[in-house]
Amino acid sequence: MLKIIFKKLIFIPIASFFVSSLAFIVVNLTPGDPVEVIAGGIATEETKQAIRVELGLDKSVTERYINYLTELLDGNLGSSFYNKIPVLDSINKYLFDTFELIIMSLFIAVVLGFFIGGLGAYFRGKLPDKLTNIILSVIQSVPDFFLGLLLIYFLFYKFELVPAPIGRIGLSDIPPEEISGGLLIDSMLAGNWETFKIGLKHALLPSVTLGIFYSSYFGRTARNVLGKSLNSKQVEFAKSLGLSKFRMFIYALVDARTPILTYVAILFAGLFGACAIIETVFAWNGIGQWAITKILMLDIPAIQGFILFAGLITLFTYTFLDILITYLDPRIRKKTL
Amino acid sequence: MKKYINKINKNNLPVIVSTLILINFSFGAFLYNFTHDPYTTDIIQRLTPPGEGFIFGTDEVGFDIFSRTIVAGKIDLFISLSGTFAALIIGLPLGLMASDKTKNAERIMKVLDMFQAFPLLVLAIVIVTMWGNNIRNVIFAIILINVPRFTRLIRSEALTIRESRFIEVAIAMGASKTRIISKHLLPNILGTLLAQASITTAHSIVVVAALSFIGIGVVPPEASWGSMIRAGSQYMMTGQWWMSVFPGLAIFFSVLSFNTISQYILRKYEQI
Repeated sequence: MLKIIFKKLIFIPIASFFVSSLAFIVVNLTPGDPVEVIAGGIATEETKQAIRVELGLDKSVTERYINYLTELLDGNLGSSFYNKIPVLDSINKYLFDTFELIIMSLFIAVVLGFFIGGLGAYFRGKLPDKLTNIILSVIQSVPDFFLGLLLIYFLFYKFELVPAPIGRIGLSDIPPEEISGGLLIDSMLAGNWETFKIGLKHALLPSVTLGIFYSSYFGRTARNVLGKSLNSKQVEFAKSLGLSKFRMFIYALVDARTPILTYVAILFAGLFGACAIIETVFAWNGIGQWAITKILMLDIPAIQGFILFAGLITLFTYTFLDILITYLDPRIRKKTL
Repeated sequence: MKKYINKINKNNLPVIVSTLILINFSFGAFLYNFTHDPYTTDIIQRLTPPGEGFIFGTDEVGFDIFSRTIVAGKIDLFISLSGTFAALIIGLPLGLMASDKTKNAERIMKVLDMFQAFPLLVLAIVIVTMWGNNIRNVIFAIILINVPRFTRLIRSEALTIRESRFIEVAIAMGASKTRIISKHLLPNILGTLLAQASITTAHSIVVVAALSFIGIGVVPPEASWGSMIRAGSQYMMTGQWWMSVFPGLAIFFSVLSFNTISQYILRKYEQI
């Protein structure tokens, strides 16, 4: 086991180097000139040149790349072109807001997806199976931001069940003292349950939107995996022993944990970028929304920092997943050894 | 004509409906005789609810939503389809190359894996903003996102088929590499490939819409579903739902159609 873990971990430094290089290449080797945007249309050539020197854009790409890598080794991601705030500070500030959203959304997605998929697998071939299949197809075909807007219309405007989608808390509410940066975590740590409740209410719409949207993925996986294991030899054996239908279903669930875990991990890592638009719709003020504003402003260090950060999160999550799965599944463990 | 109508049955009805929906959006600009031009605004009739005169209502500047929803399909579907097929054409040789059991093949896969570690939607946004805000770059972004997916799929499909007996026999009979690929390999993965292309197009429609939703890619006055939803998004809080809902439904039905077609293709090929 230790040998496997070591094998996986040794890959991380090399991969990190590739990820950081790719982050640099994507942002720096482009035909667009950020100086034009920063300076504005009416700026003179001298102003542009001054900005170029100030931001270090007058140097060659290789020089900038070496600079970027050495800075990176010191843990420095550079600072924003515009307000000079260090990129790492911004990422720190917004990270936990997004983290909270992702955790809530994933929870809803897993529970809902399992419910739908499980229903389909339990009644496979019968009417509920066909119905859940249609439901999943419908969910899969709605863009998440459109689903968010529909929920805003119905839950906020029509039935007035949730507060306005204008951020994490109401305009007149006082945010808790910052510890981690995540509103819910902070208010919990401070024991401020009033703010926690308000925050939870505001979190309802975006997390339900993402939860419903991604439940289709879990639903399909759950339906396929559970359906397969309910038809398998071991369940047939359990049936011949006279175990109840419910018991067999539980056994099938245990069998299905590897693909489900894989999906949770992939979605967790992917959502740091994928929830950007939903964050924008609900003014969530998380890392995704921050990234989009920065991209539209062509704030190169910030974009670079975000891409690097997202790449690294994916890298670490996948490595962790690999190790976890080899630990849980003896079949895979045998194969890798 | 009657012969064809008789052929419609429970199994292919969804596919026929899907195809009709897609034709409606792709060629709608020529099929309909719009009472209101999609590119001129009616300043007096702003925010008109759907009903008499304007079937789908008008938006905040007085554009007719019905004609714009139909016209937007042309450009949105064009971008998604051309991006997907370009990605397929690039991914095919890459995937076939990567299905060799050589060191180079492994390297291709490693690089593609790394690439997939990035948040792809954000990457598309970065490409379109930094490379210039035009349709060509949106298509390019779609290609870039999807080439790794196609490569991976083609590789895994080709790997399974390469193991099979009939390929072994073909090699033993002295068939050339091109012959094996074109006569034995490609026909066998065609179904999966087309099904994947259909799903990818559906994905791409959403990506294109997401880009215009945040204000890049296809932007007004050019009509696109994403930018129309964006224009209506603030009004969802105040009750003028029609601005976002109709283009949103257009996306929904197009995506659903492509997904349905994909499922149909898969089923068809599994039967054979």
